[in-house]
Amino acid sequence: MREPVIRGAGLVTSLAYAAVVAWLYATQPQTVAQVTGGFASIVGAYTVDPQAMADGLTFFRRDQFVEARAALSRADPAERDPRAQFYIAYAYYRQGWGRLYNDDALFAKGLSAIDKAIAAAPGGRLVVEDPALQMHSADELRAELQRGITREWSDFNPMRVFRARK
Amino acid sequence: MSATREAIVLPLVFLTVTLLAGARLGAGVALVPPSLVSLVTGTMLVGALVRSGALAPDRLLHGSRSILANANGAVVLATLFAAAAQVLGMLTPRSGLPRFFVEVFLFVLFLNTLVARPDRVRLLRSLAVILGSALVLKFVVLASLSDPSGGRTARVLVALFDAATFGTIAQEPQSPGAGYLAFFAIALFLTGAAALPAEPSSREAGLSTIPPR
Repeated sequence: MREPVIRGAGLVTSLAYAAVVAWLYATQPQTVAQVTGGFASIVGAYTVDPQAMADGLTFFRRDQFVEARAALSRADPAERDPRAQFYIAYAYYRQGWGRLYNDDALFAKGLSAIDKAIAAAPGGRLVVEDPALQMHSADELRAELQRGITREWSDFNPMRVFRARK
Repeated sequence: MSATREAIVLPLVFLTVTLLAGARLGAGVALVPPSLVSLVTGTMLVGALVRSGALAPDRLLHGSRSILANANGAVVLATLFAAAAQVLGMLTPRSGLPRFFVEVFLFVLFLNTLVARPDRVRLLRSLAVILGSALVLKFVVLASLSDPSGGRTARVLVALFDAATFGTIAQEPQSPGAGYLAFFAIALFLTGAAALPAEPSSREAGLSTIPPR
């Protein structure tokens, strides 16, 4: 009677451990927070820190983008919340935007963040209804960031200096 | 073999080896799946374990065993294969001529082992020597040739060596913890390999077949 119990428990444990190993290989988490957050989100128990999120949005609206990203990263340590990642990407966009040229490094980080937001959003669709923003969907923001780091002839158009930051 | 060892200990050991051996320490931790060559040499390693009697597959999978016991056996075999492939992938240098030569060396060595068919004890000793040598080669010899943090003389020697070999020997610098992680993974893998259900030795088999008087 005892042997089947051991075998059954062993099988369940082994399969669960194998699933964890496969998940780690697939998602490549870099921090303990990402690991724990990933497991929490699998069981639907992951939540962002509301206070840090509010701080991040306040900083964002004051154009304090570095502070905004710090607070939003604190709110979403596992990088699993699409809204927080959207605002992080938007902060990279606004900080990196330039009338003459964009900061490619910041735009690339923004692209990475918006990809995380899209990956975390249900069905990959994310729309943020915020009147302070001019791009509300993750697709628009992603395309804008992608355009910003792509070299093309229109980059040399002198009329570019009249364009506005979104 | 006890049910605990087969159902719990061996799968957990081999899965841990799979996890540790796939980790590449750097600025972050990257988990790298095994290369195609590692899968081939891993298969040969498992084949060598079977041919030497260090692993008796019929003690893990057999029609006379229950479904649950066969499922445990299948998990042991699958995790053994994954761990073997990952350990060999971990011990293979990442680039250049060392990678080519180590891959060829491991392939020929396991082919030779398959043909020579040593007994269990000799195979396990041979495996320890192969894995230990590869560990020293990658994490001691090649790592010291690619170490950017040495003194001025060491850096000059490394630069001269790199120039003389057209950059084909030097590897990416390793994290200091990588060698320790590899050592632990190898030790765990060898422990697991030694704990696999083996074929009964000929003496044991002979004794068991003596008819009672």
